[in-house]
Amino acid sequence: MVKNKMSSIEQTFEGWKSTVGEPLLAQQDTRISTRNVDVFYADKQAIFGVDLDIGKNEVLAMIGPSGCGKSTFLRTLNRMNDTIDTCKVQGDILLDGENIYNKGMDVVSLRARVGIVFQKPNPFPKSIYDNVAYGPRIHGLVSRRAEMDELVETALRKASIWDEVKDRLDQPATGLSGGQQQRLCIARTIAVSPEVILMDEPCSALDPIATARIEELIDELSNNYTIAIVTHSMQQAARVSQRTAYFHLGRLIEVGTTDKIFTAPDHRLTEDYITGRFG
Amino acid sequence: MTDQTLNAIERLALVKQERMAAQLSKRYGKEKRFRFFGMASIVIGLTFLAVLLGTIFTAGFSTFFSSEIKLTIHYDAALLGLSDLNDEDQVRLADWSQLVKKALKTRFPEVSGRKQSRQLNGLASSIAIYTLKDRLLANPALLGTTEDVWLMADDEVDAYMKGQVDPSVPEIERRFNDFQIGLVDQLVASGEMKQSFNTTFFTNGDSREPEQAGIRGAMIGSFFTLLVTLSLSFPIGISAAIYLEEFAPKNRYTEIIEVNINNLAAVPSIVFGLLGLAVFINLFHLPRSAPLVGGLVLTLMTLPTIIISSRSSIKAVPPSIREAALGLGASKMQTVLHHVLPLAMPGMLTGTIIGMAQALGETAPLLMIGMIAFIADVPGTPLDPSTVLPVQVYLWSDLPERAFVAKTSGAIMVLLGFLAIMNLIAVFLRKKFEQRW
Repeated sequence: MVKNKMSSIEQTFEGWKSTVGEPLLAQQDTRISTRNVDVFYADKQAIFGVDLDIGKNEVLAMIGPSGCGKSTFLRTLNRMNDTIDTCKVQGDILLDGENIYNKGMDVVSLRARVGIVFQKPNPFPKSIYDNVAYGPRIHGLVSRRAEMDELVETALRKASIWDEVKDRLDQPATGLSGGQQQRLCIARTIAVSPEVILMDEPCSALDPIATARIEELIDELSNNYTIAIVTHSMQQAARVSQRTAYFHLGRLIEVGTTDKIFTAPDHRLTEDYITGRFG
Repeated sequence: MTDQTLNAIERLALVKQERMAAQLSKRYGKEKRFRFFGMASIVIGLTFLAVLLGTIFTAGFSTFFSSEIKLTIHYDAALLGLSDLNDEDQVRLADWSQLVKKALKTRFPEVSGRKQSRQLNGLASSIAIYTLKDRLLANPALLGTTEDVWLMADDEVDAYMKGQVDPSVPEIERRFNDFQIGLVDQLVASGEMKQSFNTTFFTNGDSREPEQAGIRGAMIGSFFTLLVTLSLSFPIGISAAIYLEEFAPKNRYTEIIEVNINNLAAVPSIVFGLLGLAVFINLFHLPRSAPLVGGLVLTLMTLPTIIISSRSSIKAVPPSIREAALGLGASKMQTVLHHVLPLAMPGMLTGTIIGMAQALGETAPLLMIGMIAFIADVPGTPLDPSTVLPVQVYLWSDLPERAFVAKTSGAIMVLLGFLAIMNLIAVFLRKKFEQRW
């Protein structure tokens, strides 16, 4: 039934494929801007011509039904898709005006500027301390031990997990609970002091209480960082983000302030999705 | 209400209980049978293992003990025809066997006649004279004095002492006759005959005389061979596995390489031996029978094993760990070295030690490169001619003397001992590295 309705929309609604809303921002407010981005997995196209700006110190939520390409799009922003041999990205993605797919761009330094938090908490099987210290260590950011201690503490405090782990920094991170592990992963990401943090459904493996803590954390972090978060939960998008982008079948359908998207969306598909008619 | 008014599910509900009960006993029966078959196969396997080990141990145990005769030796300079111990020619030409003959004659003055004298002299091993020579050269002050020395007995005496000679068999059918039995019985009665731990077995190289033959040469040869194999195949195998798994693009060429590696793992080992003969010996002119060449050949043989097991343990590292490291900005190399390798290491080590254990027991390819030669010297370097434990087993199993039967089993026991030790090391290393999770 639902499926029929969806396809009937697509059949009857001419021009559903073009983006509505306000995908673009003023240049001085923009941290990342993507222009005409296509992503292919082998011959299959996953993303179709996305134009989108992500502003400084904003939280942008990306929502959409499964398989709509929002995670794929997120991963192109710090070139995590490079690890997939068949994945090909076309178009321009600019970070502070610099194209990150340029030949001269070093992926290592790019990822130190654009950090990522994954869906499933994935701490290294090392101590809590080493998990946080790993990033600064490989980038040679900190040389003295005392400085590193301070950095680790700050990162753990910012991820609001310090009080829970301060007495067992040398213990395995894999012994923490799921929610703690995810906050540790956030601490690990901010320890390299990135400009942008990408979050790929960071709460989908967590219970509601752990989710609430992460959401509070995202709120705090948005004071200092640009955050792009992919989520399946519309409530979460409504709670944490200032702007929301709705993806559908690899296309960016609508972008706008979160209030507008959730109260008065311009596009039929967006409306159908947020009112729960499909997805 | 008749059955016709009920639909399929409602009709089923009526008979469900009884049908399921029938099914249940069937299922239990199947489970029971499966458990029985499993247990039966394990019992059969263990029985064969017990039989194998039992035969080897009963046959080989005696080789770890040897019989010794106590003789009163008079280091008679005149008898030896020796005046100056520093004169190498004199030492070489001296008739050392006279010392033993004299001592035996003194012990059994009643023995006379050439035939019986010869049988009397045959009681002591022919290496006894070297024991005496070594003692005298180590301590020249002994010349002209008399001392009691425990000397190794002949292998026939040894066999009799170990109860392997049946005196009820007609004398003509044994190599050890009643006269000799009488002599030995006298020695045993007076405490001049004993069995002690056979150190010769572990300190000597191979020999045609069973009581002198030892496995030291083969042990050292095996050690050198495995050393060469390990130091080549471990780094090469692991690097190849890491490259193929983490760096190489997945295309037609890497697929061909993969298929070929899997094929190489199944190639009969004698083919590697022929390859080694053609390449290392005939082309590169490396020395024949040397552990170096043996190690090279075994490296070729163990590489596929190591590569395949290393690759599968690299594959088993969760991709989320790689993503985490890459997401933090670690380079590919750092990701592999810091995260993938430590997690894959236990599996890699297990694979390597399994490969090493295979190499330790390998015989066929080493025959092709000349490690089957009879070599009495213990090798000092990997370039010296040598043999290895399994080839030694093969060589001894071919010899007619009774004592070599026990030696063969003894060598197998030593080989099995080394295999057990290697597997223990594998378990230990795995445990140790797993603690680092």
